Amino acid sequence: MSLAEVFEKHPNRRYIMYGGKGGLGKTTFSAATAYYLAKKGKKVLVFSVDPQASLSDIFERDIFGKGNIEIMQNLFACEVDADRRIQDYQEEIRQKIIDMYGMKKIPEEIESYIKASSAEPAMEESAIFDAVVDIVVKGDFDYYIYDLVPLGHALYYLSMAAIYDAWLEKITGLREQMREYDRAISTMKREKTTEEDEIYNELMYIKDRIGMSSKIMTDTEKTAFFFVVNPEEMTIVDTEKAAQLFAKYNVPLAGYVVNRVIDRNLLKENIPVYLRNRIDMQAKALDTIDQKFGSSVLSMVPEFDSEIKGLDSIKPLAEVMFEEKLS
Amino acid sequence: MVEKKTPEQEKENIGSKIVGFFKDFTYGMATHGMARQALKTRSSMEHLFILITMGDMLGIPILPPYYSLRLLPHVVPQITTWKRRMLREKDLMDSMY
Repeated sequence: MSLAEVFEKHPNRRYIMYGGKGGLGKTTFSAATAYYLAKKGKKVLVFSVDPQASLSDIFERDIFGKGNIEIMQNLFACEVDADRRIQDYQEEIRQKIIDMYGMKKIPEEIESYIKASSAEPAMEESAIFDAVVDIVVKGDFDYYIYDLVPLGHALYYLSMAAIYDAWLEKITGLREQMREYDRAISTMKREKTTEEDEIYNELMYIKDRIGMSSKIMTDTEKTAFFFVVNPEEMTIVDTEKAAQLFAKYNVPLAGYVVNRVIDRNLLKENIPVYLRNRIDMQAKALDTIDQKFGSSVLSMVPEFDSEIKGLDSIKPLAEVMFEEKLS
Repeated sequence: MVEKKTPEQEKENIGSKIVGFFKDFTYGMATHGMARQALKTRSSMEHLFILITMGDMLGIPILPPYYSLRLLPHVVPQITTWKRRMLREKDLMDSMY
């Protein structure tokens, strides 16, 4: 099956992700896929939450922290500024405390707790995935292409979401028990039952958000996850391991795309030994890829002679990747 | 204009006062202790809840704080008493159960 066929056969798969080690071409493929789909008349948002995001580089526009920026017709790009998002969020909490209790200033111990929270490493992951939920929930686009940070992040979050979920289950249970006590006490004292439990509502909200954020990555109906591989033994081994891990978390794997394949026809020409050796190395690796991934390999993208940067260079790449001439 | 109470209303008033007295009396005799106990348990639970959501304030590592920050505004008034209570107990586990 080809990459284009996968998109044709599963029009419901609206969340597209390319995963793989750093530097294999995730951002490049995300941009090319966005380009292809936009040319086909779909409204596409390609977004990234990586603090060292490279969408700005590939589209040659500074879009960091600026919201959804139109790159060309139907193609929008967005780079989320996670740090600023965390700061805004903390400010929102401060404001809420001030409003709720009519305080002039946040008490010292509360303030230090809020400050310390941003130093926690998991804070960033949670903030990032919460941002993703925000982007996707709006539903303004036909396709959402998520330029993932290297695999570790996503896996870490998925495992965290599972723990979070169990944790929430427990505290929601405790909260419900507390509520029953409240009711019993008011009956005994013959008072009216107390007003709604805001904390319980917050817990429900949190549960909902966490559920949504992990669902975006694990929804077999709506998500397509592609692995990017290079024809190198080490990359193949790593990718295989990652694929197993992802399967454990039920991430629906749609297939593999091979990047940076050097044209074999060059062997017929008078080329330096260095290049000849590299082509031989790749030939072996490509055999391994064929054995291991077989028909799940959807596309082979050649090594280009210049860096993919700007729409003019994305176009030929998208054409090769999807095996189709684009206007 | 001041409303004058009819003797019937006057009677009713006394009646309801007596009923009220007996209500309070039986409450004091029968349920007050129970209510007190329930309130105590309830407040222990409140503290347990804050402990498992914001325990890192006391140096107990708790799950990532992104979402627990959302709960923070709702427990601000209880934080001080909670901290005092948690740190006063001889055995932390005593205060949890």
